[in-house]
Amino acid sequence: MSDRELKKGSAELLVLSCLEARPRHGYEIGKLIEARSNRRIQFRIASLYPILCRLEGRGLISGRWIERSGERRRRYYRLTARGRKFLEAERTAWGDFVATINRVVSSTYA
Amino acid sequence: MPSWVEYVREHLSLPNCRPEREAQIVEELAQQLDDAYQEALESGLSEQEAFSAATRHVCDWPALANDLMHAGIGRTKRVQLPLSDQHTPPDLNQRPSPPGPGSPGDLSSSDSSTISKDRRVRISQMMDTVRQDLHYAGRMLAKKPVFTLVAILTLVIGIGANTAIFSVVDSVLLRPLPYPHSSRLAVVWSVFGKEGRAPSSGPELISLRERSRLFEQFAGIWVQSGALTGRGEPERVSLGLVTSNFLSLLSAGPQLGRFFLPHDEGQGAAPVVVISHELWQRRYGADPRIIGQPVRLSGELCTVVGVLPAGFKLIFPEGASVPAHIDVYIPFQWDLAKQSRDQGYIRIIGRLRDGATIQQAQAELDNIASQLRSEFLEYSGQNLHLQALSLQGDVAHNVRRALLALFAGTAFVLLIACANVAMLVLSRANERRDEITVRAALGAGRARIIRQLLTESVLLSCLGGIAALAVSWGILRILWVLQPAGIARMAPTGLNLADLVFNLLVSVFCGILFGLSPALEARGLDLASMLRGASRSTGGNKRLSRQLLIGCEVALTFVLLTSSVLLIRTFADLLRVEPGFNPNNVLTFQVSLTGVRYPTRDAAIQFIREAQRKLSTVPGVQSVGVVSHLPFDDNLPNWYDYYWREGAPQQEQNTLMADHRSVSAGFFDTLRIDFVAGRDFDSADEVANRKVVIIDDSLANQLWPRGDAIGKALNVENGDFVRDVAEVIGVVKHVQYHSLTNQVRPQIYLRYPMAVRANMSFVVRTNASPETLVPLIRRQVADLDKDLPVANVRLMDDYVSDARMSARFITVLCGSLGAIALLLSCIGIYGVTSSAVADRTKEIGIRMALGAQRYKIMMMILRAGMTPILTGGLLGFALSLALTPLLSSLLFGVRPIDPVILFSVLMFLFFVGLSASSLPALRVIRGNPITALRCE
Repeated sequence: MSDRELKKGSAELLVLSCLEARPRHGYEIGKLIEARSNRRIQFRIASLYPILCRLEGRGLISGRWIERSGERRRRYYRLTARGRKFLEAERTAWGDFVATINRVVSSTYA
Repeated sequence: MPSWVEYVREHLSLPNCRPEREAQIVEELAQQLDDAYQEALESGLSEQEAFSAATRHVCDWPALANDLMHAGIGRTKRVQLPLSDQHTPPDLNQRPSPPGPGSPGDLSSSDSSTISKDRRVRISQMMDTVRQDLHYAGRMLAKKPVFTLVAILTLVIGIGANTAIFSVVDSVLLRPLPYPHSSRLAVVWSVFGKEGRAPSSGPELISLRERSRLFEQFAGIWVQSGALTGRGEPERVSLGLVTSNFLSLLSAGPQLGRFFLPHDEGQGAAPVVVISHELWQRRYGADPRIIGQPVRLSGELCTVVGVLPAGFKLIFPEGASVPAHIDVYIPFQWDLAKQSRDQGYIRIIGRLRDGATIQQAQAELDNIASQLRSEFLEYSGQNLHLQALSLQGDVAHNVRRALLALFAGTAFVLLIACANVAMLVLSRANERRDEITVRAALGAGRARIIRQLLTESVLLSCLGGIAALAVSWGILRILWVLQPAGIARMAPTGLNLADLVFNLLVSVFCGILFGLSPALEARGLDLASMLRGASRSTGGNKRLSRQLLIGCEVALTFVLLTSSVLLIRTFADLLRVEPGFNPNNVLTFQVSLTGVRYPTRDAAIQFIREAQRKLSTVPGVQSVGVVSHLPFDDNLPNWYDYYWREGAPQQEQNTLMADHRSVSAGFFDTLRIDFVAGRDFDSADEVANRKVVIIDDSLANQLWPRGDAIGKALNVENGDFVRDVAEVIGVVKHVQYHSLTNQVRPQIYLRYPMAVRANMSFVVRTNASPETLVPLIRRQVADLDKDLPVANVRLMDDYVSDARMSARFITVLCGSLGAIALLLSCIGIYGVTSSAVADRTKEIGIRMALGAQRYKIMMMILRAGMTPILTGGLLGFALSLALTPLLSSLLFGVRPIDPVILFSVLMFLFFVGLSASSLPALRVIRGNPITALRCE
């Protein structure tokens, strides 16, 4: 599976996990993913922004405009309660999936 | 520094987004681009390079717009307020003040256009998704061509049979009759004692016209036959004697000329005729100048005043003796009111006033009948009642039950087919689970997966539905060939729009039905457990679904098989039933001795005698007889009337009715009708002109149960509506005249010259094949009268075969349905057992490796396979007990609940199930346990 395909399938999971600790604005989320993946995963704005809109539409995150002193106002996203539950379930499933794949790809016997 | 807001506004077009939402999106994207730009500058790039780096984040703006629309920004209705840090929800109690005209908040017009755009976008998104689903479903089906083909073939059988039978049901029971205001047409029957559907007399028709308030009009018809002579070959034609309003009641207008006017009817009116479109084309070459021309009808000159439109036919209930196609219509040439009150010969139809119901009409007719009984002695003696039935309902009364039974049968076959396809789909569940797991892991929602599965099954089913149209068309052609009378009258010629709509609905219904089980399974998807490796397990749910499906299949097959066997038994009994005569090697034909060519009784009697004599001299002819009505010939009105023992008290008269037949000497011998007592007519009777009759054994038993009928005097009707007393000289076996199964009335045979009828049929028994004698017979008749048409030349065998037609029709169809159901069930049972065994191969391998005995494993597999079969069999047994009594009106010689048949079907299904389950079990236990163990 190429990086691109992996990213496509797991993008929502990545975004949600970035919001677990605290609310973040869109560009910050992209940068955080990049940093956490050691620049292996990079999102362009064109890919990330529709994901944010979609997650917000599904009620998993909610966005709010916040103005901080000396800064432009920005739209910050935070996890909703539903999003938090969803993230937990997805994280477990992902772990199982990866473990399953690992079991298969690391098998050396028939 | 670039103005990113302007840059985004320039590139991003979101026509279907609310303006305030669009503004937020623009702002947010601009910020993100600015963030990227600032970051690039900070990393040491030039402004130009930083600008390029930032803009690379969005290379394809239309694609981004599309993604955003798919992400749902187009349909959002929530007001996204540009909130500050202290976000407060809008005060719902405070009604916003209406913005003034021209104010920036005046969005009413753009709002509505946004909403309609919004709807358009939503529809277009939906269509997009459907298109994607269909595309994907098509690919999935194409990837498994064998599965797809088998599923489609199974569905074709079920949907095809259903569409065909629906087409028949629609055309026979549902579609309105092709007459103006057909829903208001009613047929009126006279009821005397046991005679429920008798014709009415002229005075009855006139009384109805005078007294009814709920009927707009009444019309009547009496069918006879006549001969067209003059131009071309003499031709016997069917003749409809009608009231002057009859044709205008049933047809919107003539093709040429006019219909009858009131002055065309009655004594002394100039004879005028309206001819059928077919006769006009066949005999007169579609010559429009025929209007106003005289034609010679049974020797009398009549003027043609009109031609009926093409395709016009009479649709009357069976037993009314009104054929669908009548060549010539002529108004009654006598005054109906002045006819005798007990001469019933007219079939009456009426048109109800707008808004009147058939129940109201019946109440009115009850009232009129009661008045007539109190006013006229004839009616009180006959205990006259009148019955009004909707024409549409009554024409199908004898086929309704059979058709509905067939419809139910085809629905059963369809359900069995659906169950089979559902099992096929379930058998693919394992591989689909893997695929579904991957799709779910890659982010597909549950609803999307369920929708995709259903799209696949509906697509499969619709493909089956399209292919089924060809099958339906073929079945309709077969039905057309088998056509029994009641259905032939309105037989469909092809599939119409209603049938296509039905086909589509059934297809979609089936798709959802068999798509349900995998979709339900997908509903309960638990990604985590699926990924943990549960995908290979043979879940209890799956096994239960299969067992349920098999059980239902076996139950439905049981009912269909039981019904088929009952109907096949009926047909077999009908083949064995003796009609009371021997129809083999008997040729029949009819002559009509009426009009100016045979103005007197003597002329007709002379012709019949001569013809009988000449025909008996033809080589190969064994014997010749003459009769007024052939058995099973419904084309002429039946002749039946009251009879009583001479000297019977008044109250016993006018209570019993018998079919009256005028027959010559030689008739009984020719048809091989056995004498129980007495003798046939002979020449001495003729010389002495004795008034003698022969009666059938059922009448003899009724009046003279001690067996002393011979020599007794019987009061009969002599053919001219005149009562006469005749001596009984013989008793013959009862002949089934109207139906093979029902004994309708007893029979009285009058000696031919004593009762002279206009239409007579010859019966000719031959040594050799009767068909070869037809030219010789025609020549003999032409020698006597070259202008006399010889009509309805048919074998007596054909009449008997027609009488079996209805039963054959139902038997063939129901038998086919039973066979199809059985085949589908066998395939289903075999498939399920194979699949269940395949799922347990590893387990079986382990058991065998651990030393389990093969026969025990075999028993284990058989037990699992046979449980649903036996349960389904018992359920089918119970269903049959409830449902087969509904078939009782279609059965003959067999009871609807026949324990032998029920137990035979149960045993049969048991053995079929056992065989289908044994094959896969045998295959596994004969195999190598190691192979089984390695099986994944």
